[in-house]
Amino acid sequence: MSQPILQTTAVAKAFGPVVALRAVDLSVAPGEVHALLGANGAGKSTLVKILTGVLRNDGGTVAVNGEPVALRGPTDARAKGLAPVYQDPALIRDLTVTQNLRLTGVDPAAVRKELAAMDLDGLDLDEQVRDLPLPFLRMLDLARALVFDPQLLVLDEITAALPPDLSDRVFAIMGRWKARNRSVLFISHRLAEVREHCDMCTVLRDGRDVASFHPGQEGGEAQIVAAMLGEASAGVRDQARERAAAASSEDGQARLVVRDLLIDRQDAGVSFEVRAGEVLGMAALEGQGQDRLFEILSGNVHAAGGEILVDGRPLRARHPYDAIRRGVVLVPSNRLMALLPQRPIRENIAAPLFNRVRRWGPINTGRERRQVNEAVERLSIDTRAAAQARRLSGGNQQKLTIGRWLAAGFRTLLLFDPTRGIDVGTKHQIYDLVRELADGGAAVLLFTSELREIGLVCDRAAVLHNGAIVAELPPTASESDLLTAAHGLEVTAV
Amino acid sequence: MTATPQAEVHTPLPRPSSRLERFARRQGWVVGVAVLLAALVGWRASQIPAFGAFELRGIIAGTMTLALLAMAQTVIVVSGGIDLSVGAMMVLTNCIAARLMLDRGLGTVALVAVAVVVVAMVLSGLIGTVIVVSGVPDIVVTLAASFTLAGLALIVLDGPGGGTNLRFQELLVGDFDQPLPALAWLAGVFLAVWVPFKRSRLGIATYAVGSDRAAAFLSGLNVARSRVIAYVLGGFFSGMAGLVTTAFTGSGEPRASIGATATLTSVAAVVLGGVSLLGGSGTLLGPVLAAFCLALIAPLMLGLGWDPNYAEVARGVIIIVVVMVGGLLQIPRRLR
Repeated sequence: MSQPILQTTAVAKAFGPVVALRAVDLSVAPGEVHALLGANGAGKSTLVKILTGVLRNDGGTVAVNGEPVALRGPTDARAKGLAPVYQDPALIRDLTVTQNLRLTGVDPAAVRKELAAMDLDGLDLDEQVRDLPLPFLRMLDLARALVFDPQLLVLDEITAALPPDLSDRVFAIMGRWKARNRSVLFISHRLAEVREHCDMCTVLRDGRDVASFHPGQEGGEAQIVAAMLGEASAGVRDQARERAAAASSEDGQARLVVRDLLIDRQDAGVSFEVRAGEVLGMAALEGQGQDRLFEILSGNVHAAGGEILVDGRPLRARHPYDAIRRGVVLVPSNRLMALLPQRPIRENIAAPLFNRVRRWGPINTGRERRQVNEAVERLSIDTRAAAQARRLSGGNQQKLTIGRWLAAGFRTLLLFDPTRGIDVGTKHQIYDLVRELADGGAAVLLFTSELREIGLVCDRAAVLHNGAIVAELPPTASESDLLTAAHGLEVTAV
Repeated sequence: MTATPQAEVHTPLPRPSSRLERFARRQGWVVGVAVLLAALVGWRASQIPAFGAFELRGIIAGTMTLALLAMAQTVIVVSGGIDLSVGAMMVLTNCIAARLMLDRGLGTVALVAVAVVVVAMVLSGLIGTVIVVSGVPDIVVTLAASFTLAGLALIVLDGPGGGTNLRFQELLVGDFDQPLPALAWLAGVFLAVWVPFKRSRLGIATYAVGSDRAAAFLSGLNVARSRVIAYVLGGFFSGMAGLVTTAFTGSGEPRASIGATATLTSVAAVVLGGVSLLGGSGTLLGPVLAAFCLALIAPLMLGLGWDPNYAEVARGVIIIVVVMVGGLLQIPRRLR
C-alpha cells in the first residue's frame, strides 16, 4: 500500500486529570474516505482538534505524508494540507462572509467558484454571517476549506444539521476528493452515511482506537455498534429483567403526559407519558432536541406547539416557577447552572424551599435546618466542603442538585444526564437514589448519554430522534438495539 | 436508502436582501442618532435668535474632546474590551502638553504634540499588553491604570497651569467664530485613520476578536495582537483628546475628576451610538454623533430656563429611553 496521507501514532491528550485520548493510532490512505466513529465522549472531537492545530497532543506523533509534523495552529495545519470543517462553523457572526474570507486570506472569487460547483452560487457573500441559516454556513465553511485544496479534508459532523439535498452535495465532494487521490476524514453519527460513503472506519472508545475495518461490508453496522460499546455487562440485563417483570404488574397512574410537543416548528412532535413510580429512560444521539425538550418541560422555554399534562391537568408554564409549583422539577446536566456555587450547602438546599416556607418576614431557621439535614443525610453528601458548593466534587454537587428538590418536595423529576463526569461509586449511589425515589411514588424522566443506564435504572426506554420519539423499548433491550434506534433505524428483533 | 431518489427535496437558498434592507439593518442606528442630533441642533438654533458660526464653533470645539474619547472607547469596545482609563489618559496628555508647550514656538509645539500622542499610544498599548498577558479582565486593569495615569498627571503638573501656543490653538480648535478647523480635524481623523483601518485586515480582525474570540482563533488570527492593536489605536484617540483639551483651554488641568467623568461619558456615547458593549459590532460614526447629542443637552436645558442640574437627570433618562427603544426595534431581527 502507498504511504498514508495521515498517520497518528499513540496520540494522547489529557485536560488536567481528565484523560480524553489515551493512545490513538489512525492511518488514512490516499484516495480514501475514512470515517471516525465513537460514542459521545470517546475522544473524536479532541482528535480532530489535535489534527487541525487547535490543541497540542501531550504524547504520540502526527505524520503527514510520512513526515512527523508539529501543528502550531489552524493556519499551520492548513498549510500542511489538513483543512477542517468544524461542527460549529468557524465564521464570525458580526462580519460579512467576504470579510470572513479576507480574514483567512481566502480569495472570495475562489470560494464563489467552489459554491458554483455545489450549485450554491446564488448565495450572497456580502450578507452578514448572522443573517444566513446554519446549513448554508456549513456549506460556506466547506467551500472555504476546499479553496485550500487540502490533502486531507476533515469533516466534523457536517451532515448533522444538513437537509438531505445538501448532504448529497457534501457526498459528491467527498467522491471528487477521492477521485483526485486525496482523502477525507468523515465524522458522523449517521451509520447509513458511513456505510454508503466510507471506505474505512476507525472506532474510538475511551480515548483509544479499538477497531478499523471496512464499514460497508456484511454486518458492518453490527460491528461498528459492538466496537463503540465494548463488552456489555450481563448483570445489568438481569436486574433489568426483574424490574421489567415487576413494573408490568403495578401500573401507576400517568403523572406526566406529553402530546405532540413540538420542540422545533418543523418537527413531527414528541409524545410519551411517565407514570407515578416509574423511571422512563430517554436515549438519543447528540442534538436530537433533548436539551430543548427538557427546557420546555421545566418551564424554561416555550414549546412551538403541543400539550403537556401534569396529573391530568394541562401545564402551561410561563416560568420555571409554574412548573415547580406543579411538582415538576429539573436537574440539569450543568450542575453549576442549578447551584449557587459560592454559597454553602445549606443555602443551596434551602433555596427552592424558600418558595414554600414563607413569602414575607423572617425564615423559620429551625425548620429549615431540619429539612436540610434530612436531605444531606439521605444523600450522604460529603459535607467537609460545606462552605461553598463549588468546592464540592462533581458527584457531591450532583447529589446536591437532586437534594434541593428532596427538601422542597416534588412529584415529577426530570434528570438530564445526571451522571455526566461522575465517578463510578457516586454514579451507583445516584442510581440507587433514583430507584428509591421512583419506588416512593415519584415519576422520573431520565435522559442519559450512557446507554448502560437505561438497563441499570429505567423501567422503560424511549428513543428520541430528530425531535420525535421513534421507539419505545423495554429496559432489557440491548445497548446495540438502543443505539440502532437512536440512529433512526428500525430495530429488528427485541 | 440508496434507492430513494431525493431529487424532490430542494432546500431553497436564503432570500437575498436588498441594498436598502441591508443598509437599514447595519446603519439604521447611526441614521437614527443622526436624526436625533439634527433635531437637537435645530432646537438649539431656534432658542438663539442669531445662531451662527460662533455658536457652531462653541458646540463643535467644545465637544471635540468627548467625540475623540468616544472614538477611543469605541475601538476598544468593538475589540471586546472596555477602557476605563481613556479619561485619565486625556488628562495626563493634557498636562504633559501644557507643561512642555508653555511659551514655545509653533514648531516646537507641533513636535511636542506628535510626541504626546505617541506617548499615549505606547502607554495604552502597554495597558492592552498587560490585559492580554495577565488574563485579568479589561475593566480591572484599565480601572487600576486610570488611578496610575491620574497620579502621573499630578506629578507632571501639580495644579492648573502650563500653556500653549496661540497659533496652535487656532489651528486645532479655531478662532471664536471659526467652526471649520475643529470640524476638519474630526473629519480628518475619521477619514485618514479610521476608514483605512476599518477596511484593512487589521480592522476586520478587531471586529472578529470582539465578536467571537474562538472563531477568530480558528480563522488563524493572532487574537492577542489584535486586542493590543485596538488599545494602541484607542491611545491615539485619547492622546488627540488631550491635545484638543490643551488647545481649547490653553492650559493644563490635572484634576482627576475630569478624567473620571469624561470616561463615563465616553461609555455613554458608545452605548447611545449603537455599539454593542459585548463587542464585535458598531461603527465609529454613531458614538461621535452621540457625543454631540449628549453635549447639547445641557445648553438646551439652559435655553429652556431649567436648572442646569436637571441636565444630568435628562441625560440619564435619554440614554435609557433611546437604548430601550432601539432594543425594541431590533427584536424582530433577533427572533428570525
